[in-house]
Amino acid sequence: MIIALPTTTSGEKSFISEHFGRSNFFYIYNTETKTGEVYVNANKDGQGGVGVKSVEFILKHGTNILITPRVGEKAMNLLSETDVKIYTNTDEIVKENIASFLNGELKEL
Amino acid sequence: MQIAILSGKGGTGKTLLSVNLSYLAENGTYVDCDVEEPNGLLYYQLENKKTEEVSIKIPVVNHDLCNGCEKCTDFCKFNALAFILDKVRVFKDLCHSCGGCKLVCPTNAISEIDKTVGYIHSGKIFDTNIYSGEMIVGLESGIPIIDELLNQVKNSSRNVFIDSPPGNGCSVMESIRDSNYCLLIAEPTIFGLHNLNMVYNLVKVFNKKVGIVINKASENSIIEDYALENNVNIIGRIPMDLELGRINSEGKIVASYDEYKPLFTDILTNIYKELNL
Repeated sequence: MIIALPTTTSGEKSFISEHFGRSNFFYIYNTETKTGEVYVNANKDGQGGVGVKSVEFILKHGTNILITPRVGEKAMNLLSETDVKIYTNTDEIVKENIASFLNGELKEL
Repeated sequence: MQIAILSGKGGTGKTLLSVNLSYLAENGTYVDCDVEEPNGLLYYQLENKKTEEVSIKIPVVNHDLCNGCEKCTDFCKFNALAFILDKVRVFKDLCHSCGGCKLVCPTNAISEIDKTVGYIHSGKIFDTNIYSGEMIVGLESGIPIIDELLNQVKNSSRNVFIDSPPGNGCSVMESIRDSNYCLLIAEPTIFGLHNLNMVYNLVKVFNKKVGIVINKASENSIIEDYALENNVNIIGRIPMDLELGRINSEGKIVASYDEYKPLFTDILTNIYKELNL
Protein backbone atom coordinates (compact mmCIF):
# COMPACT_ATOMS: atom_id res chain seq x y z
CA MET A 1 0.00 0.00 0.00
CA ILE A 2 1.24 3.52 -0.88
CA ILE A 3 0.57 6.45 1.46
CA ALA A 4 1.07 10.06 0.29
CA LEU A 5 1.43 13.08 2.59
CA PRO A 6 1.99 16.77 1.74
CA THR A 7 4.80 18.01 4.00
CA THR A 8 6.35 21.31 5.05
CA THR A 9 9.97 20.10 5.14
CA SER A 10 11.56 16.98 3.72
CA GLY A 11 11.51 13.59 5.40
CA GLU A 12 9.60 11.53 7.91
CA LYS A 13 10.20 14.04 10.72
CA SER A 14 8.44 16.81 8.84
CA PHE A 15 5.05 18.23 9.80
CA ILE A 16 2.09 17.85 7.48
CA SER A 17 1.48 20.84 5.19
CA GLU A 18 -1.65 22.93 5.71
CA HIS A 19 -2.16 22.87 1.93
CA PHE A 20 -2.34 19.86 -0.33
CA GLY A 21 -1.56 21.49 -3.70
CA ARG A 22 0.82 24.12 -2.33
CA SER A 23 2.86 21.96 0.04
CA ASN A 24 6.66 22.21 -0.25
CA PHE A 25 7.19 18.46 -0.49
CA PHE A 26 5.37 15.16 -0.84
CA TYR A 27 6.31 12.13 1.23
CA ILE A 28 5.40 8.85 -0.47
CA TYR A 29 5.54 5.84 1.86
CA ASN A 30 5.42 2.18 0.83
CA THR A 31 4.03 -0.01 3.61
CA GLU A 32 5.43 -3.21 2.11
CA THR A 33 9.06 -2.11 1.91
CA LYS A 34 8.56 0.24 4.91
CA THR A 35 10.46 2.97 3.05
CA GLY A 36 9.55 6.53 2.15
CA GLU A 37 10.66 8.83 -0.66
CA VAL A 38 10.72 12.63 -0.58
CA TYR A 39 9.66 14.64 -3.64
CA VAL A 40 9.78 18.39 -4.15
CA ASN A 41 6.36 19.75 -5.17
CA ALA A 42 7.24 21.31 -8.50
CA ASN A 43 3.81 22.92 -8.90
CA LYS A 44 3.53 24.67 -5.57
CA ASP A 45 3.90 28.22 -6.91
CA GLY A 46 1.56 27.80 -9.89
CA GLN A 47 -1.21 30.37 -10.19
CA GLY A 48 -3.97 27.77 -10.36
CA GLY A 49 -4.67 24.09 -10.75
CA VAL A 50 -1.95 23.10 -8.28
CA GLY A 51 -4.33 20.67 -6.54
CA VAL A 52 -5.11 19.00 -9.87
CA LYS A 53 -1.39 18.62 -10.64
CA SER A 54 -0.81 17.18 -7.17
CA VAL A 55 -3.53 14.59 -7.74
CA GLU A 56 -1.83 13.72 -11.04
CA PHE A 57 1.49 13.39 -9.16
CA ILE A 58 0.28 11.13 -6.34
CA LEU A 59 -1.66 8.91 -8.77
CA LYS A 60 1.52 8.42 -10.81
CA HIS A 61 3.10 7.05 -7.66
CA GLY A 62 0.26 4.59 -7.23
CA THR A 63 -1.09 6.21 -4.07
CA ASN A 64 -3.86 4.35 -2.21
CA ILE A 65 -4.05 6.58 0.88
CA LEU A 66 -3.72 10.37 1.14
CA ILE A 67 -3.20 11.94 4.57
CA THR A 68 -3.92 15.69 4.46
CA PRO A 69 -5.84 18.32 6.44
CA ARG A 70 -7.87 19.44 3.41
CA VAL A 71 -8.24 19.17 -0.37
CA GLY A 72 -9.51 21.85 -2.77
CA GLU A 73 -12.67 21.49 -4.82
CA LYS A 74 -11.19 20.48 -8.19
CA ALA A 75 -8.75 18.01 -6.63
CA MET A 76 -11.51 16.57 -4.47
CA ASN A 77 -13.78 15.98 -7.46
CA LEU A 78 -10.96 14.16 -9.20
CA LEU A 79 -10.04 12.06 -6.18
CA SER A 80 -13.64 11.01 -5.72
CA GLU A 81 -13.40 9.28 -9.12
CA THR A 82 -10.42 7.25 -7.92
CA ASP A 83 -9.97 4.57 -5.28
CA VAL A 84 -7.74 6.85 -3.19
CA LYS A 85 -8.99 7.18 0.39
CA ILE A 86 -8.34 10.45 2.21
CA TYR A 87 -7.60 10.66 5.94
CA THR A 88 -7.22 13.72 8.17
CA ASN A 89 -3.82 14.08 9.83
CA THR A 90 -3.02 14.87 13.46
CA ASP A 91 -0.66 17.69 14.57
CA GLU A 92 2.21 15.23 14.79
CA ILE A 93 5.04 14.53 12.34
CA VAL A 94 4.83 12.34 9.22
CA LYS A 95 6.18 9.21 10.94
CA GLU A 96 3.60 9.44 13.74
CA ASN A 97 0.78 10.05 11.27
CA ILE A 98 1.70 6.95 9.28
CA ALA A 99 1.82 4.92 12.50
CA SER A 100 -1.55 6.32 13.60
CA PHE A 101 -3.08 5.50 10.22
CA LEU A 102 -1.78 1.92 10.33
CA ASN A 103 -3.26 1.59 13.85
CA GLY A 104 -6.60 2.74 12.49
CA GLU A 105 -6.54 5.94 14.54
CA LEU A 106 -7.04 8.52 11.74
CA LYS A 107 -10.45 9.69 10.60
CA GLU A 108 -11.52 9.59 6.96
CA LEU A 109 -11.94 13.08 5.48
CA MET B 1 -9.53 59.57 -27.34
CA GLN B 2 -9.76 57.19 -24.43
CA ILE B 3 -9.85 58.08 -20.74
CA ALA B 4 -9.73 55.30 -18.15
CA ILE B 5 -11.15 55.90 -14.69
CA LEU B 6 -9.45 53.80 -12.02
CA SER B 7 -9.23 53.37 -8.28
CA GLY B 8 -7.30 51.12 -5.96
CA LYS B 9 -10.42 49.99 -4.17
CA GLY B 10 -14.06 49.47 -5.04
CA GLY B 11 -16.76 51.95 -4.07
CA THR B 12 -14.54 55.00 -4.51
CA GLY B 13 -16.48 56.62 -7.33
CA LYS B 14 -15.24 55.18 -10.64
CA THR B 15 -18.74 54.64 -11.96
CA LEU B 16 -19.98 58.00 -10.60
CA LEU B 17 -17.17 59.76 -12.43
CA SER B 18 -17.21 57.81 -15.68
CA VAL B 19 -21.00 57.92 -16.05
CA ASN B 20 -21.18 61.65 -15.39
CA LEU B 21 -18.22 62.56 -17.61
CA SER B 22 -19.45 60.44 -20.53
CA TYR B 23 -22.90 62.01 -20.08
CA LEU B 24 -21.53 65.55 -20.31
CA ALA B 25 -18.87 65.01 -22.99
CA GLU B 26 -19.63 65.83 -26.62
CA ASN B 27 -19.78 62.53 -28.50
CA GLY B 28 -19.32 60.62 -25.29
CA THR B 29 -19.00 56.85 -25.04
CA TYR B 30 -19.25 54.94 -21.78
CA VAL B 31 -17.56 51.52 -21.52
CA ASP B 32 -18.12 49.44 -18.38
CA CYS B 33 -15.02 47.24 -18.09
CA ASP B 34 -15.79 46.26 -14.50
CA VAL B 35 -17.21 43.04 -15.92
CA GLU B 36 -17.31 41.19 -12.60
CA GLU B 37 -19.78 43.65 -11.15
CA PRO B 38 -20.93 46.02 -13.89
CA ASN B 39 -23.23 48.75 -12.61
CA GLY B 40 -23.12 51.46 -15.30
CA LEU B 41 -26.42 50.25 -16.75
CA LEU B 42 -28.13 51.22 -13.49
CA TYR B 43 -27.59 54.83 -14.64
CA TYR B 44 -27.78 54.30 -18.37
CA GLN B 45 -30.99 52.30 -18.53
CA LEU B 46 -31.03 51.19 -22.15
CA GLU B 47 -34.45 50.55 -23.62
CA ASN B 48 -33.29 48.77 -26.76
CA LYS B 49 -30.05 47.13 -25.89
CA LYS B 50 -28.16 44.77 -28.12
CA THR B 51 -26.59 41.78 -26.39
CA GLU B 52 -23.74 39.74 -27.87
CA GLU B 53 -22.04 36.69 -26.44
CA VAL B 54 -18.29 36.66 -25.85
CA SER B 55 -16.63 33.29 -26.16
CA ILE B 56 -13.15 31.82 -25.89
CA LYS B 57 -11.60 28.67 -27.37
CA ILE B 58 -11.00 25.73 -25.07
CA PRO B 59 -9.47 22.35 -25.93
CA VAL B 60 -11.33 19.05 -26.20
CA VAL B 61 -9.42 15.79 -26.31
CA ASN B 62 -10.25 12.88 -28.58
CA HIS B 63 -9.25 10.03 -26.27
CA ASP B 64 -9.11 7.53 -29.17
CA LEU B 65 -6.35 9.54 -30.86
CA CYS B 66 -4.46 10.44 -27.65
CA ASN B 67 -1.34 8.31 -27.13
CA GLY B 68 -0.71 9.55 -23.58
CA CYS B 69 2.59 11.29 -24.36
CA GLU B 70 1.73 14.12 -21.92
CA LYS B 71 3.29 16.81 -24.13
CA CYS B 72 0.16 18.91 -23.72
CA THR B 73 0.02 18.60 -19.92
CA ASP B 74 3.71 19.53 -19.68
CA PHE B 75 3.20 22.47 -22.02
CA CYS B 76 0.25 24.03 -20.18
CA LYS B 77 1.60 26.54 -17.66
CA PHE B 78 -1.87 27.16 -16.25
CA ASN B 79 -2.40 23.53 -15.21
CA ALA B 80 -5.57 23.37 -17.29
CA LEU B 81 -4.63 19.89 -18.49
CA ALA B 82 -3.74 16.90 -16.34
CA PHE B 83 -3.12 13.25 -17.17
CA ILE B 84 -5.24 11.36 -14.68
CA LEU B 85 -6.43 7.75 -14.78
CA ASP B 86 -4.90 7.30 -18.27
CA LYS B 87 -6.81 10.24 -19.74
CA VAL B 88 -6.01 13.87 -20.44
CA ARG B 89 -8.52 15.95 -18.47
CA VAL B 90 -9.33 19.54 -19.37
CA PHE B 91 -10.04 22.01 -16.56
CA LYS B 92 -11.72 24.66 -18.63
CA ASP B 93 -11.86 27.29 -15.89
CA LEU B 94 -8.06 27.32 -15.77
CA CYS B 95 -7.59 27.52 -19.56
CA HIS B 96 -6.23 30.82 -20.95
CA SER B 97 -7.07 29.87 -24.56
CA CYS B 98 -3.50 30.04 -25.83
CA GLY B 99 -4.00 27.06 -28.16
CA GLY B 100 -0.56 25.66 -27.32
CA CYS B 101 -1.80 22.20 -26.35
CA LYS B 102 -3.28 21.76 -29.81
CA LEU B 103 0.03 22.76 -31.43
CA VAL B 104 2.21 20.38 -29.41
CA CYS B 105 -0.08 17.34 -29.76
CA PRO B 106 1.67 14.87 -32.11
CA THR B 107 -1.48 12.86 -32.88
CA ASN B 108 -3.91 15.76 -33.52
CA ALA B 109 -6.05 14.54 -30.66
CA ILE B 110 -6.84 18.10 -29.51
CA SER B 111 -9.37 20.37 -31.15
CA GLU B 112 -11.01 23.55 -29.90
CA ILE B 113 -14.58 24.49 -29.10
CA ASP B 114 -16.19 27.78 -28.10
CA LYS B 115 -17.05 28.44 -24.50
CA THR B 116 -19.24 31.44 -23.65
CA VAL B 117 -17.64 33.53 -20.91
CA GLY B 118 -19.85 36.60 -20.88
CA TYR B 119 -21.88 39.21 -22.72
CA ILE B 120 -21.57 42.70 -24.11
CA HIS B 121 -24.65 44.90 -23.88
CA SER B 122 -24.67 48.00 -26.02
CA GLY B 123 -26.96 50.83 -27.03
CA LYS B 124 -27.40 54.58 -27.11
CA ILE B 125 -29.06 56.96 -24.67
CA PHE B 126 -28.79 60.78 -24.16
CA ASP B 127 -26.45 60.84 -27.21
CA THR B 128 -24.00 58.69 -25.31
CA ASN B 129 -22.88 55.35 -26.75
CA ILE B 130 -22.95 52.63 -24.11
CA TYR B 131 -21.04 49.36 -23.90
CA SER B 132 -21.26 47.18 -20.82
CA GLY B 133 -19.44 43.89 -20.27
CA GLU B 134 -20.84 41.16 -18.09
CA MET B 135 -18.93 38.09 -17.00
CA ILE B 136 -20.77 34.86 -16.29
CA VAL B 137 -20.79 34.43 -12.52
CA GLY B 138 -18.38 31.80 -11.23
CA LEU B 139 -15.82 32.00 -14.04
CA GLU B 140 -12.24 32.88 -13.21
CA SER B 141 -11.31 35.60 -15.70
CA GLY B 142 -13.19 38.47 -17.34
CA ILE B 143 -10.27 39.53 -19.50
CA PRO B 144 -11.63 38.15 -22.82
CA ILE B 145 -14.73 40.33 -22.31
CA ILE B 146 -12.67 43.46 -21.58
CA ASP B 147 -10.55 42.66 -24.63
CA GLU B 148 -13.65 42.47 -26.84
CA LEU B 149 -15.12 45.66 -25.31
CA LEU B 150 -11.95 47.57 -26.15
CA ASN B 151 -11.84 46.12 -29.66
CA GLN B 152 -15.32 47.50 -30.27
CA VAL B 153 -14.25 51.08 -29.40
CA LYS B 154 -10.67 50.84 -30.63
CA ASN B 155 -11.01 53.05 -33.69
CA SER B 156 -13.73 55.26 -32.29
CA SER B 157 -13.40 58.98 -32.94
CA ARG B 158 -15.61 59.66 -29.92
CA ASN B 159 -14.57 60.59 -26.39
CA VAL B 160 -14.46 57.20 -24.72
CA PHE B 161 -14.64 56.85 -20.94
CA ILE B 162 -13.54 53.49 -19.55
CA ASP B 163 -15.02 52.44 -16.20
CA SER B 164 -12.19 50.16 -15.02
CA PRO B 165 -12.37 47.32 -12.52
CA PRO B 166 -11.03 48.14 -9.03
CA GLY B 167 -7.51 47.33 -7.89
CA ASN B 168 -4.34 46.87 -9.93
CA GLY B 169 -4.69 43.32 -11.24
CA CYS B 170 -4.66 41.83 -14.74
CA SER B 171 -8.13 43.06 -15.64
CA VAL B 172 -7.19 46.66 -14.74
CA MET B 173 -4.04 46.46 -16.87
CA GLU B 174 -6.15 45.15 -19.75
CA SER B 175 -8.72 47.94 -19.37
CA ILE B 176 -6.13 50.74 -19.70
CA ARG B 177 -4.48 49.09 -22.72
CA ASP B 178 -5.52 51.76 -25.25
CA SER B 179 -6.02 54.70 -22.85
CA ASN B 180 -4.58 58.13 -23.58
CA TYR B 181 -5.20 59.27 -20.05
CA CYS B 182 -5.78 57.65 -16.66
CA LEU B 183 -7.92 59.37 -14.08
CA LEU B 184 -7.45 58.03 -10.57
CA ILE B 185 -10.20 58.59 -8.04
CA ALA B 186 -9.46 58.38 -4.33
CA GLU B 187 -10.90 59.24 -0.92
CA PRO B 188 -8.83 61.30 1.53
CA THR B 189 -8.27 58.56 4.10
CA ILE B 190 -5.18 56.53 4.99
CA PHE B 191 -6.74 53.48 3.34
CA GLY B 192 -7.71 55.58 0.32
CA LEU B 193 -4.15 56.86 -0.01
CA HIS B 194 -2.72 53.35 0.23
CA ASN B 195 -4.95 52.18 -2.62
CA LEU B 196 -4.24 55.28 -4.69
CA ASN B 197 -0.53 54.58 -4.36
CA MET B 198 -1.02 51.02 -5.65
CA VAL B 199 -2.87 52.08 -8.76
CA TYR B 200 -0.59 55.10 -9.36
CA ASN B 201 2.41 52.76 -9.41
CA LEU B 202 0.59 50.62 -11.97
CA VAL B 203 -0.17 53.44 -14.42
CA LYS B 204 3.42 54.68 -14.09
CA VAL B 205 4.65 51.29 -15.31
CA PHE B 206 2.56 51.79 -18.46
CA ASN B 207 3.78 55.39 -18.88
CA LYS B 208 0.24 56.76 -18.94
CA LYS B 209 -0.66 60.40 -18.48
CA VAL B 210 -2.38 60.62 -15.14
CA GLY B 211 -4.51 62.89 -12.96
CA ILE B 212 -6.31 62.53 -9.63
CA VAL B 213 -9.88 63.29 -8.59
CA ILE B 214 -10.64 63.39 -4.86
CA ASN B 215 -14.03 62.02 -3.89
CA LYS B 216 -15.68 62.85 -0.54
CA ALA B 217 -13.13 65.69 -0.33
CA SER B 218 -12.55 67.01 3.20
CA GLU B 219 -10.01 69.21 5.05
CA ASN B 220 -7.72 66.20 5.16
CA SER B 221 -4.99 67.01 2.64
CA ILE B 222 -3.20 63.64 2.39
CA ILE B 223 -4.17 63.16 -1.25
CA GLU B 224 -3.05 66.70 -2.17
CA ASP B 225 0.26 66.10 -0.35
CA TYR B 226 0.73 62.85 -2.24
CA ALA B 227 -0.08 64.53 -5.58
CA LEU B 228 2.43 67.30 -4.86
CA GLU B 229 5.12 64.82 -3.89
CA ASN B 230 4.61 62.80 -7.08
CA ASN B 231 4.06 65.79 -9.34
CA VAL B 232 0.54 64.75 -10.40
CA ASN B 233 -2.26 67.23 -10.97
CA ILE B 234 -5.48 67.21 -8.97
CA ILE B 235 -8.13 67.36 -11.69
CA GLY B 236 -11.12 67.83 -9.43
CA ARG B 237 -12.73 67.51 -6.01
CA ILE B 238 -16.13 65.96 -5.43
CA PRO B 239 -17.29 67.20 -2.01
CA MET B 240 -18.78 65.09 0.74
CA ASP B 241 -22.40 65.98 -0.13
CA LEU B 242 -25.32 63.96 1.18
CA GLU B 243 -27.68 65.19 -1.53
CA LEU B 244 -25.24 64.19 -4.29
CA GLY B 245 -24.91 60.78 -2.66
CA ARG B 246 -28.68 60.40 -2.44
CA ILE B 247 -29.26 61.26 -6.12
CA ASN B 248 -26.50 58.90 -7.20
CA SER B 249 -27.78 56.06 -5.02
CA GLU B 250 -31.15 56.32 -6.76
CA GLY B 251 -29.48 55.52 -10.08
CA LYS B 252 -29.82 59.07 -11.39
CA ILE B 253 -27.11 60.93 -13.25
CA VAL B 254 -25.89 63.65 -10.90
CA ALA B 255 -24.63 65.88 -13.74
CA SER B 256 -28.19 66.14 -15.11
CA TYR B 257 -28.98 68.35 -12.07
CA ASP B 258 -28.10 72.03 -12.63
CA GLU B 259 -26.45 72.44 -9.23
CA TYR B 260 -23.99 69.57 -9.82
CA LYS B 261 -23.35 69.99 -13.53
CA PRO B 262 -20.49 72.54 -13.12
CA LEU B 263 -18.64 70.18 -10.78
CA PHE B 264 -18.29 67.59 -13.55
CA THR B 265 -17.95 70.10 -16.40
CA ASP B 266 -14.89 71.50 -14.60
CA ILE B 267 -13.34 68.05 -14.28
CA LEU B 268 -13.96 67.42 -17.98
CA THR B 269 -12.41 70.78 -18.95
CA ASN B 270 -9.37 70.03 -16.80
CA ILE B 271 -8.88 66.64 -18.48
CA TYR B 272 -9.06 68.23 -21.94
CA LYS B 273 -6.50 70.81 -20.80
CA GLU B 274 -4.16 68.06 -19.63
CA LEU B 275 -4.50 66.42 -23.04
CA ASN B 276 -4.02 69.77 -24.82
CA LEU B 277 -7.42 69.49 -26.50
